[in-house]
Amino acid sequence: MLKYILKRLVYIVIVAFILSFFLYTIYNFIDIDYAALRLQGQEVQLQKEGRYEEVYQALRQKMRLDEPLPMRYLYWMGLAPIDGQFDGLLQGNFGYSYNYSTDDVLGLLKEPLKNTVFINIFATILALGITIPLGIFCAVKKGSKRDTAVQVGTIVGYSIPSFIIAILFIWLFAVQLKLFPVAGMSTPNSNFTGFRAFLDKLYYMALPLIVMTFSSLGGMTRYVRSSMIEALSMDCIRTARAKGLKEKVVIYSHAWRNALIPIVTLVIGWFLGIFSGSLIIENMFGLNGLGKVYITALNTKDYEVAMALQMFYVVLGLAGNLLIDLAYGLVDPRVRVNK
Amino acid sequence: MEENKNKNKKEDAVTSKASENKKTTGAFATLSRWFKRTFFGGANALYNEMNNGDDEENKDDDIFAVEKIESPGKQRVKAFFQKKLAVGALVVFFAMFLLMLVGPFIYPIDLSYIETSQQNVAPGLNMMSVPKEMKGQIKTISSNSTFSVGLSEDGNVYVWGHTKTLLSDVSKIPEEVKNANIIHVAAGTDHIIAVGDDGKVYGWGQNANGQYGPIPEGNATLGFLYTFAPSDVLNGNLDPAQIKQVVCGKQVSGIVMNDGKFYIWGNHSIGATNLAAVKKYNNVEKLVFTTEYAVLLLKDGTYSTDGTSSFDYTYVDVNGVSTRVKLRDYIEENGRKVVDIGAAGSSAAFVLDDGTVLVSGVCANGENIVPQFAEGEKIVNIMGGQKHYVALTDKGTVYSWGSNTLKQSKVPSGISGVSEIFVGPFQTYAVDAEGDLIDSWGLKGYLMGTDNFGRDIWERIVNGGRLTMTVGAIAVIISSIIGIIVGCLSGYFGGWLDMLLMRIAEVVSAIPFMPFALILSLIVATMGLSEITRIILIMVILGVLSWPGLARLVRGQVLAEREKEFVTAAKAMGVVEWKIAFKHILPNVISIIIVSMTLDFASCMLTESSLSYLGFGVALPRPTWGNMLNGSSNSVVIQNYWWQWLFPAIFLMITTICINIIGDALRDVMDPKSSQGR
Repeated sequence: MLKYILKRLVYIVIVAFILSFFLYTIYNFIDIDYAALRLQGQEVQLQKEGRYEEVYQALRQKMRLDEPLPMRYLYWMGLAPIDGQFDGLLQGNFGYSYNYSTDDVLGLLKEPLKNTVFINIFATILALGITIPLGIFCAVKKGSKRDTAVQVGTIVGYSIPSFIIAILFIWLFAVQLKLFPVAGMSTPNSNFTGFRAFLDKLYYMALPLIVMTFSSLGGMTRYVRSSMIEALSMDCIRTARAKGLKEKVVIYSHAWRNALIPIVTLVIGWFLGIFSGSLIIENMFGLNGLGKVYITALNTKDYEVAMALQMFYVVLGLAGNLLIDLAYGLVDPRVRVNK
Repeated sequence: MEENKNKNKKEDAVTSKASENKKTTGAFATLSRWFKRTFFGGANALYNEMNNGDDEENKDDDIFAVEKIESPGKQRVKAFFQKKLAVGALVVFFAMFLLMLVGPFIYPIDLSYIETSQQNVAPGLNMMSVPKEMKGQIKTISSNSTFSVGLSEDGNVYVWGHTKTLLSDVSKIPEEVKNANIIHVAAGTDHIIAVGDDGKVYGWGQNANGQYGPIPEGNATLGFLYTFAPSDVLNGNLDPAQIKQVVCGKQVSGIVMNDGKFYIWGNHSIGATNLAAVKKYNNVEKLVFTTEYAVLLLKDGTYSTDGTSSFDYTYVDVNGVSTRVKLRDYIEENGRKVVDIGAAGSSAAFVLDDGTVLVSGVCANGENIVPQFAEGEKIVNIMGGQKHYVALTDKGTVYSWGSNTLKQSKVPSGISGVSEIFVGPFQTYAVDAEGDLIDSWGLKGYLMGTDNFGRDIWERIVNGGRLTMTVGAIAVIISSIIGIIVGCLSGYFGGWLDMLLMRIAEVVSAIPFMPFALILSLIVATMGLSEITRIILIMVILGVLSWPGLARLVRGQVLAEREKEFVTAAKAMGVVEWKIAFKHILPNVISIIIVSMTLDFASCMLTESSLSYLGFGVALPRPTWGNMLNGSSNSVVIQNYWWQWLFPAIFLMITTICINIIGDALRDVMDPKSSQGR
C-alpha cells in the first residue's frame, strides 16, 4: 500500500509540473506587457520626472520579462534562483495582483476560498443526503412506476445547465416568493456578529446552495441507482437472500457496501468537480468565492491571480485523483492486492 | 458493420416508415429498394422478391407472418421503438433539428440589426389588431413604438398593441377620457395625447419627461431638459373647432391650429432637440416629428427644420447621376412649393407642388429611393414609419418604400379605393371612405418578444439553435475521433503505447474543465481572429478537452474484444494489425460509442451554453442559446422580461432532455446486461 501511494505521489508531482508548464505557456500566449501594467499607477508621475523609461526597463529586468519562456517558468515556479533566492509558487509567492496592487495573492484568496469550501461542502452533504436514499429506493424498486418517474425526473435534472436552474430559482424563490435575496453575501450596512452573522450568511447563501444541490441531484441519483442495481445483481446477494436474511440487511449491509465502491469515486470526483462548477453559481449570485475571483481576474486581465487559481484547480484535481485511488483501496480490498 | 447500419436506421426510421405507405413507382421505387436493403438487410428484400415479386405492399405483413430469426441489431431497433418516451423524444428532437436546419433560411439574421424603439417588447401578435368596435367607425389611428391608438367617429378611444413598459401602461385609458367625446388623438413613444370636443387636452402614459400635464412637483428645475405644456393646453383654452392637427413624437407633442398658431412641448433633450428653435413660428400648416427633430410645413409653402442641419442636403437625380444638392435651394430654384411633409425615424420627406418627393436626412435603409409614381397621380398624403415611407395618391393607390425588414413597406397587391392611410413605425392601416379597415400590413408583433436591443427572440432562437447544435455536434465529433483512435490503439496494441496514451488521457482529464475552457477561449478571443475561426476553435477546445472518457471506454471494450476468435482468425489470415483494430474490432464496439456520443452531444451543448453564458464562448451579437441568456442574470430582467430568458432556456432544455432520453434508451437497448436488450 505504501509503495502504491508513493508511486502515485511521484506520478502526481510529475503531472503537476507538466500541467503547470503547459499552463504557463498558455498564459504566455496572452500578449501583455506586465511591466507596463505594473507601472500603470505611477506612469504619469514618472513621465513627469522623465524617469519612466528607466524605471520601466529596470522593472523589466527585475521581472525577467526578456528571458526565454522555460527560464521564466522556472522563476515563476521557484525552481530557479532570482538573485540567489528562490521565490516562486513553491515558496508560496503566488504573484502580483494588478487589480488590488498587492503581492499578497494568498491573502487575497483566503476569504473566497473559505466561502467556496463552505458552500461546496454544504451542497455535497445536502445532495448526498437526498440522492443516496433516493438512488437506493429506485434500485430496489427498479422498473416500478415510481422508479420510472424518478428516472425521467433525473434526466430532466441533469439536462438542465445550472445557470438555467439558477435563473428559474431566482425567479421563483427570490422574485415571486421573495423568500431569499437575489444576490450578495450579507445584508448591506449590517454589522452582525457571532451567530447572527452566521445566520445572515446562511440566509444569503441559501439560494445558491439550493441551486447547487438541485443541479447535482439528477446525475448523482442515477449513479447511485445504477451502481446499486449492479450490486443487487451480484451472486452474493442471491446467496444472502437464499440464506433467508432480511431484505433490509441484504440491501443496506450486503449490497450497499458493494455499491459504495463506484459511489466513493463519484462523491470525491464530484466534490472536486463542483469547485470549478460553482464558478457559474458564484458569478450568478455574486458570492465572493474562488470562481468569482477567477472570472473577475480573467475579465480584468489580472492574469497572475488567474494563473495561481488555475494551478490551485489543477492541484486540487490531482489530489482528488489520488484520494479516489486511496479511497478505492479502503472500500475495496481487492484493489489493494491488485496494485 | 451491423451496428453501423443501426445508427443510420434509427435516424431514418421515421422517414422510411412514412415512405412505406406510399405506392412507389419508377426511380423512387428503386431508391426505396436500395434504402430498404441498406437498412433492413439484403436478405429480407431478396426473400420478399422471391415470394411476392415486386409487390412491396405485402412486405410488412410478411415480416410479421413468417417467423424469422432477427439479427441482434434489428432486435435492438425494435426494442428502442418500443420505448414510447424515447420515440417521443426522438420525434421532438428531429422536429427541433429540422427547425434549426430550415429556420435560418426563413428567418435570416442580420447581426448588426438594432431597433431601439422595439426594446423589451413582450410576446404577442396584437400590434395590428384593430378592435372590432371600430369597424366602420375609424376616424384616425395613430401608432408609435409598439402600440396604436384609434379614435372612432363616435369619440371613443381604443388602444392596442404592446402597451406596457416598466414605468407606465398606455392601455389604461383614464376615466375622464372614456367619458369625454374625443375629437383628436395622437400616440407618442410612451404617451398618448387626446383632445376632447370641449377643447380639453388629456394625456396618459408616462409623463416624467414633460409629455403632458403640469410640471411635476419638485421638477421645476428640469426646464433645461423639458419644455412643459403651455398654459393654454393645460387649462383647456383651445378652440376645439380650430384644432387642425395633434401630433406626438418621442416624448414630445404638438397641436397645430387652423390659423397657423401651434403649441409644442415635451422632452427637448431627446425627443425634439430643435424644439426651442422652431417655437417662434406662427404660420404652421403641419408639424411632424422624427425621432430627434421637429419638422414644420409653413403656410407659405416653405418648411422649417430650424435648429438642425440634418435635413439641409439631399440627393437628386441630375441627368442620371445622383448629386448632392442643398434642399432649400433646390426646391426654391424653380419656384416650387412644399405641399406636404412626412417624417420617418431619421429622415423627412417633402412633397412638392409638381409631385416630386424629396427625402433628406439619414437614409440608411433606402428611404430616399422614391419609387416612380404612376402618371397623373397626385400624392395626397405621405407618412413615415420608423425606416420607411408610405404615400397615398388621389387615385387611392398606396406606394411604400424604405426598409422592409419587418415587411412594413410591402404593400399588399390588389389594394385599391384607399381614402386614408395611417402609418405607425412598422405598421400601415389602409382605410376606405366609409371608415372601414381595408387592410393592414407590417409588423404584427413578436411571437416570443424582443430583447434589450429590439431583436426578435424567436429569430435569434432559431439562428442560435443552429449554432449551439453545430458547436455541440462538431465538438463531439472531434472528441469521438480522438477518443476512438486513442482507445483503439491503446486497447489493441497495449504495451508502452497503451501506457503513454493512458497517461496522456489521465493528464487531460486531470485538467479542471471549466476554468481551463475559460482561459482557452479567452486566449482565442484575444488573438484577434475572425469570428468563424474563433467559433471553430471553441469547438476544438471543447472536443480536445473531453475525449479521455470515451478513450477509456473504447479501450476497455477493445481489450475484451481482442481476445475473441475472430481476431485470431483475422491474424491467421494475415490481416494487417491496424486493419484488425479499426476494421474488425471497432465495429464491434460501435454501439457503446454511439451511446457515449449521444450523451456527450448533450453535455457539449450544455458546456457551450455555459461558456457563452459567462461571455467566454460565442460572442454577441451572434446568438447562441447560451449567450441569449447572458443578460438575464439580474432580477429586473428575470422579473419583468421573462420572455428573454424563458424561451431560450426552454429550447435548450427540451433539446438536451430529448438527446439524453434518446441516449439513455439507446444504452438500455444496447447494453448486453440489460434485460430488454435481447
